[in-house]
Amino acid sequence: MLLYYLRLSALSYRRNPILSTLMVLAVAIGVGSYMVVFTLNYVMGGDPIPYKSDQLYHVSLDTGDPNHEDDPPEQLTYLDATALLDADRAFRETASSKFGGTIEPANPELRPFSIVGRGAMADFFPMFDVPFLFGSPWDAQADESMDNVVVLSRETNDRLFGGDNSVGESIIMNGEPYQVVGVINDWQPVPKYYDVNNGPFDSGEDAYIPWRILPAKNYSRPGNTNCWKAIDGRGADAFLNSECVWIQYWVELRDQNEAEDYLSFVNNYALQQKELGRFERPLNNNLFDVQEWMVEQEVLPDETRILSMLAGMLMAVCLLNTIGLLLSKFLGKSGEIGVRQALGANKRSLFIQHMIEAGFLGMLGGLLGLGAAAVGLRGIKYLLSSDFMVTDLIQLNVPVAMYTIALAVIATIVAGLYPIWRACNVNPAIHLKTQ
Amino acid sequence: MLEMSNISKVFRTEVVETHALRDFTLTVDQGEFVTITGPSGCGKTTFLNIAGLLENYTSGTYLLDGQDVSNLSDFQRAKLRNEKIGFIFQSFNLMPDLNLFDNIDVPLRYRGMKAGERKERIEHALESVGLASRRKHLPAQLSGGQQQRVAIARALVGQPLFLLADEPTGNLDSNTAMGVMELLQEINAGGTTIIMVTHDQELAETSKRNIHILDGQISNLPSVSQTASINPPAVSATV
Repeated sequence: MLLYYLRLSALSYRRNPILSTLMVLAVAIGVGSYMVVFTLNYVMGGDPIPYKSDQLYHVSLDTGDPNHEDDPPEQLTYLDATALLDADRAFRETASSKFGGTIEPANPELRPFSIVGRGAMADFFPMFDVPFLFGSPWDAQADESMDNVVVLSRETNDRLFGGDNSVGESIIMNGEPYQVVGVINDWQPVPKYYDVNNGPFDSGEDAYIPWRILPAKNYSRPGNTNCWKAIDGRGADAFLNSECVWIQYWVELRDQNEAEDYLSFVNNYALQQKELGRFERPLNNNLFDVQEWMVEQEVLPDETRILSMLAGMLMAVCLLNTIGLLLSKFLGKSGEIGVRQALGANKRSLFIQHMIEAGFLGMLGGLLGLGAAAVGLRGIKYLLSSDFMVTDLIQLNVPVAMYTIALAVIATIVAGLYPIWRACNVNPAIHLKTQ
Repeated sequence: MLEMSNISKVFRTEVVETHALRDFTLTVDQGEFVTITGPSGCGKTTFLNIAGLLENYTSGTYLLDGQDVSNLSDFQRAKLRNEKIGFIFQSFNLMPDLNLFDNIDVPLRYRGMKAGERKERIEHALESVGLASRRKHLPAQLSGGQQQRVAIARALVGQPLFLLADEPTGNLDSNTAMGVMELLQEINAGGTTIIMVTHDQELAETSKRNIHILDGQISNLPSVSQTASINPPAVSATV
């Protein structure tokens, strides 16, 4: 009967093309506008690593100013990061931070160019499931001995080596030779959860090197650095021994027990530091998994919430219009409904027939809404500056498209429930005489 | 086959009560051709709607093929309508978007019949009303008489116990009306019971039994056909 009912739906559309088209347009506008905002939220607020987001924890140590009641700092000091690294208590862990650099290509035809790189530990790559095109990460030994090894992004590899396998090649970065050990494939987690402090929708880094090299060689730090206390002294060592925070610290813990153990460890560490005069505020250290960290950092700006509400209201208005139009359409079919009842249709089958008709209109509205959403997203991409986020990410994908159509179908069926109920409960006898 | 005893139908509003049928008692046997006549508003159509299970009655008993229909669910009533009753309406009530084949297909769809059997039955029904060659035509492409033939084919295709016809010739010119009446008589001659409401006394007289309704009751005045009837009604209608 499903195909039969679909055919009746198509015939019904043809009988009332203007009314039906108005309904489809109402659904399309409502769903399309909602999907624009939904896609933005989906891109900006989705789980970037769903299969292990509950095993990756951002470490938050409250080394903040005791004279202010603000939140704990989002990053760690050098003292704390190195202490945690040296303790080696997590299944995997990494300190990481941005660095600025200049690469001098061996090819004399290429001019030197600036890059933004990331210092990280070897664990960074397996922790965040970074995909490799060529080679592999460096090993833990390279971390400790601060070997001059580098993992290039695909773009940097393309630029320097024309996309060839460059593993084993050497590049000059910040005036020193670095050996390429790996090239990562396209990797653009959204949000960029491992470093939301420096822009949750930034693009990835151009090169990755062992993190300990950054402080050791005093590389420039283009990322956020916050100091609540004046640095005691001058020079790099004074900075490293200060209360300035500039390092993101992540651990991978395989289960809740490991998480509890690790939190207990950092609390004990903080208590020890208190004895040394640090950690002056009440104990408030935390482990945030990926999703918790996105919420804590308010990755989704308030504007998107307001937009969501507006889009939801617009969709509600469109659906209310659809209810009115469906009421008009289905009550206009009372005669046909009466005839069908006389010929043996029960109310249930009539209800199903008209639910399918509403769903059919919803599907058409959804398809049109998909087009409207695509146009809307192009507008959003045009309006948003590329500094705000990687706008190429704002696009409809298959799950979002399917969700759009499902939403349109379900919303239209829900909007149709009352009109269908009314239409199926008319007295057929009245309409059979007067049709 | 159809037994109504003391059926009453009262329409109530906040201020007024209207008795459409009062203590209406009627029995129709298998194979009869019964016409129902009476002035406008006398209750003819109400009787037809109750007989066709399209409307509930206020009191009384109605047995359809021996089954008391007073407490049936919507599903059971729809099933009975589909299997035992064929409807023919004054304004044909064909579905304008569906071609003749698909119009006749509607009751069979609700019966859940398989496609092959449906096709066979529809083609036979179309042949029996002389419209087999126009199976793909839409109703609007037919004359009134042809549309009513299609409606008759639709009513017959499910092989019902009886046909309920509400002014089936009311929208037709006299020649076409006679053609439709001849077709109905042929159908009756084949054994199908027909109950027909009509304003037309002449047409009523062509049936074997005529019931006259007045103010929701069967009138005591015998109609011409009743006095002239060779075969008296199997069960008389009483107030």
